[in-house]
Amino acid sequence: MSPDLERALDRISRVRGVRGSMYVAADDGIVVARLLMETVNGKAVAALAASLARKVEGAAAATGAGRVRFLQMDAADGTLLIAPAPRDLLVVTLADPRVNVGLCRFEMMRAAEAAA
Amino acid sequence: MSEDIRALSAVLAADPASLVYVDLAEALRRRGDLDQALRVANGGLARHPEHADGFDCLGRIHAGRDDLPRAREAWGRALAVAPDHLGALRGMGFALYRAGDARGALAVLERALAGHPADDGARRALGTVRRALGMESAVRPADRPVEQGARVAVETAVPAPPSPAVVPATAPGAPSVAAAGAAASAAAGAAAELPPVFRGFEGATADILLFDDRGLVVAGGLGGADGVDVSALAAAGLAGVSSEAGRTAQYLALGAWTAIVAEADRANLVLAPVGPGALLLVRRDRGVPVGLALRMAERAQATASAWLARQDA
Repeated sequence: MSPDLERALDRISRVRGVRGSMYVAADDGIVVARLLMETVNGKAVAALAASLARKVEGAAAATGAGRVRFLQMDAADGTLLIAPAPRDLLVVTLADPRVNVGLCRFEMMRAAEAAA
Repeated sequence: MSEDIRALSAVLAADPASLVYVDLAEALRRRGDLDQALRVANGGLARHPEHADGFDCLGRIHAGRDDLPRAREAWGRALAVAPDHLGALRGMGFALYRAGDARGALAVLERALAGHPADDGARRALGTVRRALGMESAVRPADRPVEQGARVAVETAVPAPPSPAVVPATAPGAPSVAAAGAAASAAAGAAAELPPVFRGFEGATADILLFDDRGLVVAGGLGGADGVDVSALAAAGLAGVSSEAGRTAQYLALGAWTAIVAEADRANLVLAPVGPGALLLVRRDRGVPVGLALRMAERAQATASAWLARQDA
């Protein structure tokens, strides 16, 4: 992992409630770089996040909303955050349900820029 | 219905090679017993591997299980045997549309109507697809039989599989959504309007959409950038997002998903479940803060939930 990407993931992971974050190839859901708690299945998170992002991208186009810049899925026991990044990557973060989404978003956008 | 199933079961037990397996599978499907319907259909098709009606029925069963790839495969096999099979053509149109391939659905439904010009279901489905594609006229004059032209209804639902009677069952536990959807379709046919569930909300009929988990519009509406109604197309696509979110939440042990927020170039979208089988989309301009959009969605969600409960009462 390049130092820039490592630093970017580290910043995200310092947000309270974040269980892990990673760079994922948008096309095939393969993990490119990751920083996760041991309990998090990185491959599963990556594959599912990429698939969800594709679905939402298609649906957003159908609604006329245009290209998706940030995606947040809230669930009872966790939050999945996805930010598209350059070079066909996604920045993906798995966090607790009450995580500070605004702070996560800020760090994820920085991480997306770091991938350029 | 139960007596029909008993009688059909008896006939099939007496003659396992009978083609009555299709009627039995269909009766089971309509009753919502999709697993048993699937077993009966597969059993019959094992004996009659070239039976187009059997594959058509199998397609509807898979669609009822929300397994569109298998539904599409089944309808494809029916069409390989009988290229003009009306049920399979309509089913294939439905599957393609749900998969986001409106052009493909258009071609198949035009083929259905060309072969069966009096079929009202194919005509309505074709009209819906044309509107979703932004075609100028929902139903071309040439498609209308003279005696039925005046009755062509404007509706905003996605094309339904083969016939209203064989629309795949809504998810178990969501009868209110099915009923509301039927009411909405009826209202659409009668007055070209959906129920005014969100009256008083900003964008009540252009930015708020209530639909079911099969992608059928129930209430509200969604306008496209050029003013064309995109409710049906959006509902079809968003139903796929819902099932993907459910799968993601389940695999990652996140519990039930409660909302999806997408910040996009031109708008922010909030998608949320409204009880079993129903979903809500709220679209707000990009300039509206996400937190505010979420609060608006919560209000709309409560309103939709109360409305659905009234439909069920």
